[in-house]
Amino acid sequence: MTETVTPASQQREDPPSGGRLPAIPGPIETARRLWRALRRMSTALLLLFALAAAAVVATVVPQAPVTAQSVEQWRTGEAGPGPTAASVIDALGLFDVFGSWWFGLLVVLLFVSLTGCLVPRYRAFLRVARRPPAPGRNLGRLSNTRTFATDVPPAEVLGAAQRVLGRRRFRVRCIDADGAQQVAAERGHLREGGSLVFHTAFYVLLAGAIIGKVYGFTGQVSLPEGGSFADTRIAYDAADAGRGWELDDHRGFVVTLDEFDVSYFDDLTPREFVSRVTISEQGAPVRTADIRVNHPLRHDGMVLYQLAFGMAPHVVVRAGDRVLYDDRVLLSPNDDQNLWSGTAKVKFDDPERQIALDLVLAPDARLDSEGQPTIGPDPRPNNPVLIGNVYFGALGLQRPIPASQFERGSGPVDTAMLRPGGNAALVEGNLSVEFVDLAYWSGLQVSHAPGRLLLLLGAGLILAGLLPSLYSYRRRVWVDVQPEGTGSRVTVAGVALQRKGVFTDEFDDIATAVDREVRS
Amino acid sequence: MANEALAQSSNTWFNVALLAYIVAMVAYFFRLAFTRVSADGVIAGTAVGRRVGMFGTAVAVVGVGAHTASVVMRGLAAGRVPWANMYEYSSLLALVAVVVGLVVVQQRMGYGHLVGFVLATAVLSMTIGLLLYTPAGPVVPALNSYWIKIHTSAAMASSSIFMVAFVATALYLVKDAAERRVAERSAASFDGSTVGAAHVGGPATTEQRPEGYEADTELDTRVASPLAQREALSPVWFPVVPGLVVVVFVLAVWRAPVAAIIAGSVAALLGTAAWYAVPYLPPAAKLDNLAYRTIAFAFPIWTFAVMAGAIWAEEAWGRYWGWDPKETGSFFTWVLYASYLHARSTHGWRGRRAAWVAVVAFVALMITYYAVNLWIVGLHSYAKA
Repeated sequence: MTETVTPASQQREDPPSGGRLPAIPGPIETARRLWRALRRMSTALLLLFALAAAAVVATVVPQAPVTAQSVEQWRTGEAGPGPTAASVIDALGLFDVFGSWWFGLLVVLLFVSLTGCLVPRYRAFLRVARRPPAPGRNLGRLSNTRTFATDVPPAEVLGAAQRVLGRRRFRVRCIDADGAQQVAAERGHLREGGSLVFHTAFYVLLAGAIIGKVYGFTGQVSLPEGGSFADTRIAYDAADAGRGWELDDHRGFVVTLDEFDVSYFDDLTPREFVSRVTISEQGAPVRTADIRVNHPLRHDGMVLYQLAFGMAPHVVVRAGDRVLYDDRVLLSPNDDQNLWSGTAKVKFDDPERQIALDLVLAPDARLDSEGQPTIGPDPRPNNPVLIGNVYFGALGLQRPIPASQFERGSGPVDTAMLRPGGNAALVEGNLSVEFVDLAYWSGLQVSHAPGRLLLLLGAGLILAGLLPSLYSYRRRVWVDVQPEGTGSRVTVAGVALQRKGVFTDEFDDIATAVDREVRS
Repeated sequence: MANEALAQSSNTWFNVALLAYIVAMVAYFFRLAFTRVSADGVIAGTAVGRRVGMFGTAVAVVGVGAHTASVVMRGLAAGRVPWANMYEYSSLLALVAVVVGLVVVQQRMGYGHLVGFVLATAVLSMTIGLLLYTPAGPVVPALNSYWIKIHTSAAMASSSIFMVAFVATALYLVKDAAERRVAERSAASFDGSTVGAAHVGGPATTEQRPEGYEADTELDTRVASPLAQREALSPVWFPVVPGLVVVVFVLAVWRAPVAAIIAGSVAALLGTAAWYAVPYLPPAAKLDNLAYRTIAFAFPIWTFAVMAGAIWAEEAWGRYWGWDPKETGSFFTWVLYASYLHARSTHGWRGRRAAWVAVVAFVALMITYYAVNLWIVGLHSYAKA
């Protein structure tokens, strides 16, 4: 936008000729200028745009905390714009926008700007809201006026006007000074008040989010049917504890997964997952409950959510009579096919002579019309087959990496195909693998989120403040009465600061109501 | 579980509604074409224009009836709320937008000329819905909650109102450009005249007007013949820009050249209609006010939808906010609409700049809805199924 520069402003911006050098602002002056700049509405607007831009980037670029897999694919070049672009994105920290220092800075600046905007507004609001309605002068010049004559004496007219405006929840003040008798009324402070509540609510949200971050805990645990875990730090496969969360904040109750149920619709899409659990405290069961999606279980300040599930075959591996492995292996779904896969670390004490078992379970293994084995679409394990690939050697199982990422090097030494209850001898009879039975495992999340109520309060305040700040409007109405013979001459006048179109209708109503009230 | 017969007739009524909207849209544009402006700026429809316009209204109302029937049957057939996938959501988006267009824009505000454009967005939304068609069926467990009634319906209602607001904003930008150019020309021809000079910086720059104003629009109509507004705008850009945008979009997404050309021609026609309609549109200040009021109405609903989404996420996924692409998208949409509301009360941002913020906000809304559901991996990806 180009603006024509008037000579006056040109003069002002010119440095004074001859005389002092332009002063370099000192630290206090710089800080004051910065503070003034931050308080400006246009700065707040730019900060909001920056916030939106950051969020757009975070939508388009996969975010490591949310979709770690996509980020990995972008980095390797399998997806996204290629590894070079990914390294640039990485350097800018755009794979974790909301955890980056500049996003934090943006939020801090926004709150500083908000504070700078709100403090003077609070002061002004308190001053204005306490002030009684001001007397009106030159009422004839206002945008909304109506005048009528009546034979009712002024005192009664004033009373009637007070009643009408009071009924309409105006703040009313009767002014009787040097001959002018007037009712001044005002309404709509709720607009500014609502706006202040709306903006203040963001501090509540911030406090709730910070409290949740510092004192919160979230842990994930996977357990097979019949298995149990105690609410202690070491029980969780993955955990995210805030700085204020202490180890003895864990409640220590024991959760046992009695049963896991999956039901399907006719088209084989899942209908519901239910974990039936028993919670025990000090060794005694205190309650049994169901945990399902959308219906978490709340116990002793902790909330248990249903997150994931999978198949858990019970596998026993023996070398001769020696049992090397006897446990349930947790298998996760392969996205595209109707298969479940997982890994069992069978033996890993000697780094050179380790044994691992890659397992794939087909819940619906059937023979097609030509007698060939194929995988059917039914996710229910009515006809399961377990395929195990045995790996032997230096597999790197001792390293702290996920079980599935061991060194597969020269490939499997043998393969077994088992039905439940089946047993197979492998590697020339040196090893035997038994598929005892099949169960489900359930993935639960256990959370403690202390800032929740505060967030809910903040959300409520935002809505409660937003509505009046958009719909309420400030307006003033005056009813001026001049004695005229035995009766009076009445002037009703009004002005609105916002929503003038709506006020015109309201003013007509008020003027008519005053007229009617005076006559009755 | 799904009742086949009901689902079938739901689809039939959907098609009836789509057809009715198309016919009504054409009728509204016909009405636009058969409007005359007299020299003193009074806009009046010709007899045939009025009649066709009334026919258009009637057909649109019939369309709303058929559409409602379709939605209700869909809900009965699936045994749940009829807004659980993108097909149903797009359909309802169109329904609410048309109802808002007929009831609020035409009936209450009296801007009948705008309804054709609202119908066009509805037709667009329904067509996209058809492309994303999913048979009536149950939903995945994560969606199986009463929060789908609260969160999704609020998001949908506000999105449709934002859609109407977008129509008003886009037309405001067009109308404002026209008014501005005409004013500049008359200023040039009355060189030195105070009336012209005042007009250049006058109604178009809304500095002096307080928020929610009713502007003095008499001046605008007095300055020049409304038809001059059409002549002031180049007729080339109006079909070319929307046509190209749509062609590129369809080619990029579906790689279907025929569909791209058809959709592009429709968009080009719509652009031409907008150009043609300029003189008959309400004054820019009124359009701006309509855009503001509709956005101010939809914004709290959108705020509530985002909050309800957070509460639902807390129940279903165990956290209230995880910066999932959908959450991020709804957040930036919210921030942009909030920026629009702030821009309107910021010196130097009122008028066109604020309107552009609203346009960007609407684009953000569309990204949040379509792009995030269809192309970006996240927890809301199931919604495309």
